[in-house]
Amino acid sequence: MTPALVCERLVKRYGDKTVVDRVGFHIDEGEAYGLLGPNGAGKTTTISMLVGLLRPDEGSVRVGGIDVDEDPVAAKRLIGYVPQEIALYPELTARENLRYFGRLYGLPRRELTSRIGEVLDLVGLTGRGDDKVDTYSGGMKRRTNIAVALLHRPRLLILDEPTVGVDPQSRVAILDRVEALVGEGMSLLYTSHYMEEVERVCTRVGIIDQGRVVADGTKRELVAELGGTDRVELTLDGDVTAASEKLRAVEGVSEAVVTGSSSIRLLVAGGRHLLPALLAAVGDAGAVTGVEVVEPDLEAAFLHLTGSTLRD
Amino acid sequence: MRALLVVAGHELRSRLRDGTAPLIALVAPILLATLFGLALGGDDDPPLKATIGVVDLDGGEFPASVQREALNTDELKGVLTFRQYPDEAAARSAVDGGETGAALVFPAGFSEGVGAGRGGKVSVLESPQSPLAGVVARSMVDRISALVEARTLAVRASLEAGVPADRVQLFVEENGAAGPALSLVGDPVAGGRVDLAVHYGAGMAVMFAFFVVGTTARSLLVERQNSTLDRMRAAPVPLWTALVGKSAVGFGLALFSMCATWLSSVLVFGASWGDPLGVFPLLLAHVFAATAIVMLVASRAKTDAQADGYTLGVAFVFAFLGGSIVPVYNLPEWLRGISLITPNGWVSAGLSELAGTGAGPSAVLVPIAVVTGIGVVAGTVALLGFRKGRFA
Repeated sequence: MTPALVCERLVKRYGDKTVVDRVGFHIDEGEAYGLLGPNGAGKTTTISMLVGLLRPDEGSVRVGGIDVDEDPVAAKRLIGYVPQEIALYPELTARENLRYFGRLYGLPRRELTSRIGEVLDLVGLTGRGDDKVDTYSGGMKRRTNIAVALLHRPRLLILDEPTVGVDPQSRVAILDRVEALVGEGMSLLYTSHYMEEVERVCTRVGIIDQGRVVADGTKRELVAELGGTDRVELTLDGDVTAASEKLRAVEGVSEAVVTGSSSIRLLVAGGRHLLPALLAAVGDAGAVTGVEVVEPDLEAAFLHLTGSTLRD
Repeated sequence: MRALLVVAGHELRSRLRDGTAPLIALVAPILLATLFGLALGGDDDPPLKATIGVVDLDGGEFPASVQREALNTDELKGVLTFRQYPDEAAARSAVDGGETGAALVFPAGFSEGVGAGRGGKVSVLESPQSPLAGVVARSMVDRISALVEARTLAVRASLEAGVPADRVQLFVEENGAAGPALSLVGDPVAGGRVDLAVHYGAGMAVMFAFFVVGTTARSLLVERQNSTLDRMRAAPVPLWTALVGKSAVGFGLALFSMCATWLSSVLVFGASWGDPLGVFPLLLAHVFAATAIVMLVASRAKTDAQADGYTLGVAFVFAFLGGSIVPVYNLPEWLRGISLITPNGWVSAGLSELAGTGAGPSAVLVPIAVVTGIGVVAGTVALLGFRKGRFA
């Protein structure tokens, strides 16, 4: 079966700066792929090239087998794009927004009317469809933002940070609906800097850092790269910077990153056995108030691959 | 084409919904054109009617002949009235009080000095309230200067040639040293005289075309900031659809605005802008140029507020230089040349031909070509900017 998306060696430069550097990955039909990376890693620039908003300096993109550069109109017909920003007209109602974009996608009038009802129902806004968007909460706007992309029944849904700035309840609602869409067989590209969202929704993950995909695989494959490394979360009262430097010198510690005013995240080979050495290493830098040893996970894999936490 | 209509329809509804289209395309230009027309135009008060005061301290033939000649020229017949004052103080008081627009003061012995080849000096008293009378008065002084210069040269040449001093004056007059005929310097509009109701009606229409297109340029910037432009560009339509659809609405509204102002000028003042077959293509060319220029401005702006500011600046500077606000003849000489780098200046010149001389459409072929050329150049640069700025 033709993959939903194949991108190969994508490069985008602005002047001397290369913001996307030979990025390549593919998404199989019905697969949910997560692109995980900190802010500024190149996720949005990569997506802009995938949906035809930006022309890559090098490389190619094929959506459903169609080259985006050769036939952008046909390729775009297969994509439902949800931008990171709320791309709606606030002075219009949700229904009016949907009608306008639906007409732009070429949906016939009758089909459009029924599809508007369906997508409003899908995102839980049936009762508010005739209210102006500027009266909506952040979560409702986000859901409307997604609804627009679903109108034309795309083969590939691309969600760029779809839960930024929404309350936890709306976030859960959005993730539920995205999972449901994947369950129905829709292919998905999901970018986020929220690890738990990607872990929940996606079956395969690419980790992007400083414009490059540094790892690509299932969660199990990425975690396996850590070997017997555990993630250790340490909290202490004291100088976390000094403590992290001392911890980094301990044999078996591959990463030690300050994650808050009183917390340090460590990657430790055989974490449980090394705990006494770690506590001793902190020494007079502070008093350890808590230790948690976590089984290898995506968070640890990300730290291992990029040397930084996701929200740096 | 269908997508283009969808975008254009959406843009038009937005402009109507937020009220900018009716206000900027209809109410403002028509209201201002009407007010200017009522204040400055109209058939009952021809714009070149002028009263010139004369202080004749000379009492000789020269001042009288200048007045006779002026009253008999085709250009000034029926336009000019002379009013006599006993001295310069009385003339100054009359000028300051608005009784007369300007005044000429011939000093004592003027005619005798000219006759003897010594030349002479005529003073002009002007008032800022009557610029047209000032133009006429200065024109007469220019004429007098030419005459005096010709006479002086002729007298000196005759004396050099051995003509006796007591016969020089008669000799010069017999052999003709009258100098050039009197003509009005600074004809208000090249090509012909245009009623100021027409002038200001056209001026407002030309200036507001920029503002009308400016609202579309602004909305383009707002759409980019709100990411709805990206959403449109991500749709299965050519990338230029949003840009062209929105520009088309700006173009259409600006053309509608200009035609409505033209119609109102005809209905309110009974004014004629000239042969419609010449006027319409000229307006069409101007709207094209204004659209291209405003889009060029938008392609360089980063925010909608910046686009507003740039458009306002361009529209007013072009309006000033191009005679849409102040008639071109009131501008300093060096600025009159600059007016022709603006589409406003060419439209103004074209309408002067059509409305002022009654010329046919062929008379505006050059202005139409130049204005269209300005539009093509601006439009090309704008497109390059739009591609770089991710509008298209």
